[in-house]
Amino acid sequence: MTPYMITFFVMVGVFMIGCFALKWPVGVSMLAAAVCGALEGMLAHGVGFTQTLTDTARMMVEGSFGYVDTILTIACAMIFMKVIEDSGALDALSSLLIEKFHKVPAVLLILIMFIIMFPGMITGSSTAAVLSAGSIMAPVLLLLGLDNVTAGSVIAMGGILGMIAPPVNTAALVICAGIDVPYVGFTGPLLLLTFPLAILFVLMLGLPKVKNLDYEQLKPALEKQNATRKEYGFKIYIPFFVLVVLMVFFKVVAKNIGVEDVGMPVIFLVSACVGLFTGRKINPLKAIPEAVRTATPVMAILMGVGMFIEIMTATGVRGFIVMTCLQIPEALWIVACCISIPLFGAVSSFGACSVLGVPFAYIYGTYLGGNVVVCLAAISLIAAVGDMMPPTALAGLFAAQVTGVKQYTKILKKCIIPILILLVWAGVVLVFSKNFAWSVFG
Amino acid sequence: MKKKGLVSTCIILAVAIFMAVFTGISFSKKRNFVEDVVTAGSAVTKTVKLSTYNPNLAGSFGDVDIYVLEGAEPGGQVLILGGTHANEPAGHMAAIVMLEQFVPTKGTVYVIPDICKSGLSHNDPLEGTPQYLHFTTAGGETRTFHFGSRASNPIDQWPDPDTYLHTSGEWQPLNLPANAKTTQTLSGSEVRNQNRCYPGIANGTLTEKVSYAVTNMINTLKIDMVIDLHESSPEYAVNNAIVAHENAKEIASMAYSLNLEEQGMKFKIEPSPISLRGLTHRELGDYTDAFALLCEVGNPSQGRFRGFTDETLAITGKDPCYKVASEIHDGKLLYVDYSSGDFPISLRVARHVAAVAALVEEMGFEYPEKEILIDNIPDVEEMIETDDLGLWLR
Repeated sequence: MTPYMITFFVMVGVFMIGCFALKWPVGVSMLAAAVCGALEGMLAHGVGFTQTLTDTARMMVEGSFGYVDTILTIACAMIFMKVIEDSGALDALSSLLIEKFHKVPAVLLILIMFIIMFPGMITGSSTAAVLSAGSIMAPVLLLLGLDNVTAGSVIAMGGILGMIAPPVNTAALVICAGIDVPYVGFTGPLLLLTFPLAILFVLMLGLPKVKNLDYEQLKPALEKQNATRKEYGFKIYIPFFVLVVLMVFFKVVAKNIGVEDVGMPVIFLVSACVGLFTGRKINPLKAIPEAVRTATPVMAILMGVGMFIEIMTATGVRGFIVMTCLQIPEALWIVACCISIPLFGAVSSFGACSVLGVPFAYIYGTYLGGNVVVCLAAISLIAAVGDMMPPTALAGLFAAQVTGVKQYTKILKKCIIPILILLVWAGVVLVFSKNFAWSVFG
Repeated sequence: MKKKGLVSTCIILAVAIFMAVFTGISFSKKRNFVEDVVTAGSAVTKTVKLSTYNPNLAGSFGDVDIYVLEGAEPGGQVLILGGTHANEPAGHMAAIVMLEQFVPTKGTVYVIPDICKSGLSHNDPLEGTPQYLHFTTAGGETRTFHFGSRASNPIDQWPDPDTYLHTSGEWQPLNLPANAKTTQTLSGSEVRNQNRCYPGIANGTLTEKVSYAVTNMINTLKIDMVIDLHESSPEYAVNNAIVAHENAKEIASMAYSLNLEEQGMKFKIEPSPISLRGLTHRELGDYTDAFALLCEVGNPSQGRFRGFTDETLAITGKDPCYKVASEIHDGKLLYVDYSSGDFPISLRVARHVAAVAALVEEMGFEYPEKEILIDNIPDVEEMIETDDLGLWLR
């Protein structure tokens, strides 16, 4: 196992040096770590120099395509976000929600949380949740009196709970595919795992800030938003309706009537196109490059993550990590599961599901005889925390972006207690999965 | 743009173009690489295109050859599927060995060694697998075969939906168990998994079209038995096993107890789960009258515990991580005996050959009108002892 450990340290070391000493972007540091890991790993295993170079080149490109669908979704979601921001739609919706629900702030907060979660629930992606509904709700949370960091924390936690909540949980689907379990019966356990936490977190984080909400005091701050609302009327909300209608149609209805899903990128682009004609005038040639430029670092991270995982797998580092986790005593497996899966999420939460989620699902579902569906649901919730782990931290980084927080770590710090509660809850459900078997339905 | 910025942009662009061209050639070569299946001197009497059974496949990447090995005397008919999952090389190679070696004297053997040709044409991103496997034949010639992906190539069908709703399309079940559902929600990527798309849809995705053609072929030719050859991760519970549809349970059990066990080969006989749709052993049993079976054998090169991954691992099955896994927690983490520290492809192929021979023999024993007699079946004991698959290739 020693050669694998050396490759592991080479990859982690190069990544740290690139990231922290040389201040390279995270994506570039991952690329450098993957190249060095590949060269060291393959040469150490006696692969010829030319073969090492050609295999490394091939795997770098192959790996960079590992998350191509997510990358396209992010690019298109950012374009949508930019359009609704520039058109004034965000301002208008914020003012409307506050006007209608300011008398019941707790209900308003819970409603906002569910709205944030919704895109994640039907796409299985925290990024989609944060960038679409999260970006829409960010100004509302800020106007309600939440500071940027708290608002970002609510959005980030909403994003990761949304990606796990039913009906679509990509993390669970990845594990299902790994152990040949049909995605059936997950609705109940996933509802049980996510919705109580969603209500708890939004009230825990947001209620202290909004319980004394004074709408009269807030009115002057809402002047600009109210003006936009009055100027464009109902028409300004059309992009949101288009987005929701297309999402529900293609993600829920279409498959039942034999219509093909056009995918989230197209849904975001169509909604953005509509947004060009429903509010303030927008120059697409300026707005679109700006939006894509904003998303570039994250897209680069995902490409770097793909290369990193591909090389980890090829050089045996992935197997080394899994075996290290499994070699610890049985009694500590739950600790290993709750620590290693989120930590691996620093590279990719879906990668963590595939690399570590699947072995732990075997262990809890088969070896220890738990309820497979409940175990998978719980492990998927643990894996979702990976989307908060730096440097990738998709949910956290985008939440910081939409709320104007410069240092993402502030959001991570604020979310530590909710994350610990989440891990304890998921861990309890995982260990006592048989006792939660009653929840399996849907 | 400042001069410094322009220079670095040009350098990055040049590197990107070089990488795209360099690796593009490698990907294109793999996509278009044709394996040299040797029919000269074999018992193959003819080849038929799969599109015969689904014209929508004609000219597409999934329109593969069906190799027909006809015996002089009429008898039963068996269809052997290899390459369903192209990252499970023993299934693919076993089908090639059978079509090059089997000599039926009674009945007909149909072999499709590359049923998911699209999957053979690429590798899974993030899996770091080799592109090819090489074997040296007894004559000293090196033969090259694909090591591919579990799923069809996205070039042939993309993007994947978020979730894949499996349906049985226009097919009417012949033997559907009571209370069985015919639809199923699966992970989106499973839409490209050949073994989740049965019974298939005539004008669906490429993967569904291929599955449709197989189902239609079985019904049209009234094939008596279908055997799908696979491999599985050592940590996967269904391992070193024969998975049987209800209609083939008896044959599988008897083939094991009367034949395979006698040869010292341990197999688990697993019932095909009614709730897991889209698989050969489920759908081909429900939607055709064939005895539907699937053979699994442990393959360390596809598992999640594996160490350094290359062609050697795929061929020898030697892996230090799996060795550790076999030694901890009383060896209960694995579902195969990995105490030897290897699981070579010659052994894995030999197990498939033995299983197919035993199942076909048992069918003939239980249903004399479906008897198939095959000569020149490779001696599995010798195959395991020599530990060199190349010797069994023409």
